[in-house]
Amino acid sequence: MTDSNRILELFKNNNERRFMPFLVAGDPNMDQFIKLAKIIEPYADILEIGIPFSDPIADGPTIQEANVRAFNAGVNTKTALKAIKTIRSETEKPIVVLTYYNILIQGADTIEASLDITFKNLKENGVDGIVIGDLPIEEADLTLKACEKYNICLIFLVAPSTTEERLDKILKVGKGFIYLIAIMGVTGIRDTVAQITKDTIKRIKLKTEKVLPVFVGFGISKPEHANAIIDAGANGIIIGSAIVNIVKKNLNDHKKMELEMKDFVSSIMNAIRRVN
Amino acid sequence: MDYIDKYPDELGKFGEFGGMFAPEILMPALNELTEAFNRYIHDENFIEEFERILRFYSGRPTPLYYAERYSDFIGCKVYLKREDLNHGGAHKINNVMGQALLAKKMGKKKLVAETGAGQHGFATAIAGAYFGMPTKVFMGEIDIERQAYNVYRMQILGAEVIPVKSGSRTLKDAVNEGLRFWIANLKEYHYLMGSVVGPHPYPLIVREFQRIIGKEMKVQILELEGKPPDAIIACIGGGSNAIGAFYDFIDNSNVQLIGVEAAGEGRDTNKHSIALGLGRRGVLHGAMQYLLQNEYGNIIETHSISAGLDYPGVGPEHCYLHQLNRLVVGEATDNETLEAFKNLSKLEGIIPALESSHALAYLEKNKDMFKKDDIVIINLSGSGSKDLDIIKKHMEFSIK
Ligand SMILES: Cc1ncc(COP(=O)(O)O)c(C=O)c1O
Repeated sequence: MTDSNRILELFKNNNERRFMPFLVAGDPNMDQFIKLAKIIEPYADILEIGIPFSDPIADGPTIQEANVRAFNAGVNTKTALKAIKTIRSETEKPIVVLTYYNILIQGADTIEASLDITFKNLKENGVDGIVIGDLPIEEADLTLKACEKYNICLIFLVAPSTTEERLDKILKVGKGFIYLIAIMGVTGIRDTVAQITKDTIKRIKLKTEKVLPVFVGFGISKPEHANAIIDAGANGIIIGSAIVNIVKKNLNDHKKMELEMKDFVSSIMNAIRRVN
Repeated sequence: MDYIDKYPDELGKFGEFGGMFAPEILMPALNELTEAFNRYIHDENFIEEFERILRFYSGRPTPLYYAERYSDFIGCKVYLKREDLNHGGAHKINNVMGQALLAKKMGKKKLVAETGAGQHGFATAIAGAYFGMPTKVFMGEIDIERQAYNVYRMQILGAEVIPVKSGSRTLKDAVNEGLRFWIANLKEYHYLMGSVVGPHPYPLIVREFQRIIGKEMKVQILELEGKPPDAIIACIGGGSNAIGAFYDFIDNSNVQLIGVEAAGEGRDTNKHSIALGLGRRGVLHGAMQYLLQNEYGNIIETHSISAGLDYPGVGPEHCYLHQLNRLVVGEATDNETLEAFKNLSKLEGIIPALESSHALAYLEKNKDMFKKDDIVIINLSGSGSKDLDIIKKHMEFSIK
């Protein structure tokens, strides 16, 4: 495939600080999710959308519950992709999918054939990148091939525990950006930005400077966090649980959900843009 | 067959099964565990200490008992490998003592585990007390209810039982929550996996610590009968008691190896746990394996009368042995299991765990497979004393 990839295009232009908000596809239901995605879109540099999985081991209670709400609303991989297509029809911003490996290896007899079907689908529905919660570099060969074929960035997670040796391997094959996990833990809101986060950003940046941008996620919930993380050297920030929490808090009042969502994402974007 | 000690490969694969489909954050810890295990499993002092604990603390070797009245009932020679006589009442102790000893050598201070039936949690609590390591056990709310006595046992031993309220609220979600906890507490804690499931190196580690069952069996049956058995039958939840019993017989193709899965309310209902028999290949809890899942790859809820078999997946090595046609896969329903539970109790004075009763039920259903002189070993993985709350609902206990 020769067509361009929106993530790679984005980073070509300049080195502004970036914001990638996250929503679970179909949370709290498909219509409302699409509405929220549209509300967020103007404030986002990249949209991250979760395709729900029944057993998301890297996620804390907030995102697990969002997956459950989506399943209860009848969401599945097929309808999630259809919603992504709808969102794609209204934006040219990059879309990154977050999911787990088992979701991707369905549809054919062999893993290779299944991945081929899945990534073809992802591409056709407008996806530019993918983060896979349980796919470390050791297991990624087949997925890398499919990503290459369909020009989708395979974005690897890096943790504070990732060794230099592993980081080198990841930097060799990872595309788009590095998804740096800010803390040793699962997804969920934290009150402060930990020292380990800042230290890890510095450590990782030493190696990645000319290779891949570094986005930091897991635990960020306030503009001050975003600032601190950008100041520590990150190229972008990712916010998931804090956004999903706005959905959860306002399940009975969708108007309020939408207003709070807009206020929140605009406050984060303003905080990030300040630095530029 | 030339199989023993060839698998898993360095990537943790048994053929296409197994592997390390784990979050990046866990990978360094898993690699550290693999390294430590590979070092200590060849360390004479470590092995000596492990075997000493099993001998003097758990009461090994467990007897291989010729069940005469049950044999008459079945129509072949039935031996019971009495894992129920281990300290703690199940085979689980073999694995926990090995892993806790390893954890201690690695400098870990605390233990965290998941449990279904509560047997593994109970065993982990024993190891925690023995080694002086504070222990947390994640357990589904439904299992807490149906295995209340094991909850009390764990608490008596000083372990903290943490109820799991997410998902199916059984074993699968206890694994999820246990792993999440571990991810946030890697430095201090060893995650003590209860069966031959999870990412590499767990299927290897648990197998090696459970191999003692088959090693003893091999010597014992030779002493008693002068030859290997014609068949070994074991129940399969994750598969640890089965692989422990089978492993050292794999290369001898005259020994049939039969693993029995929980058919719950029947294979035609959606209430069963027949992962090998009816599952599709997929990835859960870090390993490629046969899984009960829907068309999109989401895991479906399983059922069994025995909490220890109520799991949507199965150990990767069993998947491979099944693919190689070395493992015969059978099943038994809840009702067949209850019948077998009663039969063994009345005929032999031994109350088997409901898990182990699946193996007995398979033999009772398939007794025509065996001739009078055939030797069949049932791996009696545990005692039924933990199951009385469930049995209470299925038997008449009024005193007239
Ligand atoms: C007595 C007994 N047997 C069997 C099992 C199933 O586990 P596995 O298949 O790993 O032996 C359990 C699990 O809790 C158990 O308690």
